[in-house]
Amino acid sequence: MRRLYSSLVDGRGFDLCLIGVPLVFLLLLSGVPLAYNVVMSFQAVDMFSLGSFVRPWVGFDNYRQLIAQPEFWPIMGHTATFLIASIAGQFLIGFALALFFWVNFPGASWLRGLFLVSWVMPGLVVGAVWNWLLSGDFGVFNFVLHQLHIISGNVFWRSDPAFALWSVVIANIWLGTSFNMIMLSVGLSSIPADLYEAAELDGAGALFRFWTITLPMMRSTIGALISLGLIFTLQQFDLFAAITAGGPNNASNVAQYWAWDLSFKQYDFAKGAAISVIMIAVVMVASVYYVRSTRHEVRG
Amino acid sequence: MKTSAILGAVFYAGVATLGMAAHAADPVTITIWCQDDERQPGLNLAKEFGEKNPDIKVVYRQIHFDDVASEAMRAYSTGQAPDIIAIDNPEHALFASHGVFLDLTDRIASSQVIHKEDYFPGPLASVTWDSKIYGVPKATNTIALYYNADMFKAKGLDPDKPPQTWDELVDAARKLNDPANNVYGIAFSAKASEEGTFQFLPWAQMTGGGFDKINTEGAVRALTIWKTLLDEKLASPDTLTRGQWDSTGTFNSGNAAMVISGPWELNRMSEEAKFDWRVTLMPVPEVGAPRSSAMGDFNWAIFKSSKHPDEAFKALEYFVSQDPRVFPDWGQLAARANIEIPTTGDAKKDAAVKVFMEQLKYAQPRGPHPDWMKISKAIQGAIQSALTGQASPKDALDQAAATIQGILG
Repeated sequence: MRRLYSSLVDGRGFDLCLIGVPLVFLLLLSGVPLAYNVVMSFQAVDMFSLGSFVRPWVGFDNYRQLIAQPEFWPIMGHTATFLIASIAGQFLIGFALALFFWVNFPGASWLRGLFLVSWVMPGLVVGAVWNWLLSGDFGVFNFVLHQLHIISGNVFWRSDPAFALWSVVIANIWLGTSFNMIMLSVGLSSIPADLYEAAELDGAGALFRFWTITLPMMRSTIGALISLGLIFTLQQFDLFAAITAGGPNNASNVAQYWAWDLSFKQYDFAKGAAISVIMIAVVMVASVYYVRSTRHEVRG
Repeated sequence: MKTSAILGAVFYAGVATLGMAAHAADPVTITIWCQDDERQPGLNLAKEFGEKNPDIKVVYRQIHFDDVASEAMRAYSTGQAPDIIAIDNPEHALFASHGVFLDLTDRIASSQVIHKEDYFPGPLASVTWDSKIYGVPKATNTIALYYNADMFKAKGLDPDKPPQTWDELVDAARKLNDPANNVYGIAFSAKASEEGTFQFLPWAQMTGGGFDKINTEGAVRALTIWKTLLDEKLASPDTLTRGQWDSTGTFNSGNAAMVISGPWELNRMSEEAKFDWRVTLMPVPEVGAPRSSAMGDFNWAIFKSSKHPDEAFKALEYFVSQDPRVFPDWGQLAARANIEIPTTGDAKKDAAVKVFMEQLKYAQPRGPHPDWMKISKAIQGAIQSALTGQASPKDALDQAAATIQGILG
């Protein structure tokens, strides 16, 4: 008894507790819902059998029906476009801003903080603002482009199938850029200054220094940021709800919005679950790739 | 001490027999879920009912519009359902057909307050499933054509003769359209949501179509007219992604000469629209064609799981007894033909309400069908693919009809 007690307070038992508590926490809050979701995607779910766990098993029927829908592949394509364009836009603009503020002119840190305003705004508010900015007839965005002589007639950002997805991408880039900038700024400031001094003495130019010092030193930050970007972008729902509602004619519909629409608008919970399982699979493949590519990294 | 308790019990029992509640000694709790806030009838009537019945404790929970149905399903499947819920009318059949709502047919038949024959046919049909009645219409609304009489005059149209047929409507839209001054001929909503179905279905119904035969010749003609309105830029391309509230906003600000919308706009329009606005009935396919219109708003229903169905029904009776106040106090229209609408002192609004009351006679419910949301999704898909030019109106509606046929079985 005493040994058990002492082991619990200071010994192997204590270690097991340390592992066990978060493990139970994870299982309850992530594992169970995840498993429930996966199981649901293989069942025939009636809206009134939502509360029970035992439901008719239908195998891959939900997936088959989903893939047979004519909008399946277009929506998956939009999801990929949205992911790549959003992450690329957020990252490149965020990196440019981070490098700009790295110059450390007077007031730089103060201004950098202000940039976070876009990040702390709720998605629905950002969506409502962009909805108004991108409106076709009286939108500010069109007005500015018109004044700059970039466009001659109004562009119907939300309602033209060619632009609808891009209008959400623009809003999402605006929303996520400042977060990227802050993360990259932190990464930049952790690079030892003497590396640059040494390189400068050796006669390396600015571009060469960026390529051979900054980028390699930022590798883990960039990797983490891009995987975070992948997660945040796949979670982006509010902007779609507020700006285009997936329209017109699914031109801006993406997997995460479709899953919600199936589950909570059409009450087809099983198909909604099936889409989220597909999304989980994609994210898992991406994260495995990320973990493998950074694990073998040789650090100087 | 003991004697007084017994005396008290006897006294309460006496009150209970005199009154209507059977368990006056321990107050009954009635839970009501509704989306209404303090400016709308639900919350106020629930509160009043609680005050008037000290033996019944009323717990009111305000639920956001988008969450009503899914919250209710979740609650029901876990045994946490409220006693009374206000549910959007196209979703009523889903609950009624699954036996989730209490059958009120007999209670209504013997009720002194609620009379089946008082109601407009559309709202009544929406609470009916399998010829039994599973609820009471809470309020109702419909859509009609608002028009800017000042613009009619300016373009040489007679404001006393607004468009009555589809051709006249397109014709008027062409004449009123004035891109140089940022004025569209007409505004409406073809959004890929329930709003799009709400606006399109009446057009199909006027030609003898309906959700179960959405690809009739008349429906194809209707969708072709919608496409003409968009292709000729007689309506803003944002019609595809804009709801009715925002579309009507452009009418109020003088950027559209006509708009198809409902009576929920009246208060805002009285404040914002600085011109002579009027309302006329929805134009019909040709002179003499049957009329139709959309039917919106919520129904009251009692969950079958309610432990106090008698008290819950009593609450519904109280709500119905207050129907005459629904328009003067909260600006909504009761779903009944025998309610006098008092004048508001605003001549434009009073004239408009008369038109809406007339239009309500032709309002038809969406469904009723348990899978309404899937049917509606197919109709929205057809509207959107035709208007964006991905499919011809005929092909789009044929596709929707095939999908709907699969759902109807």
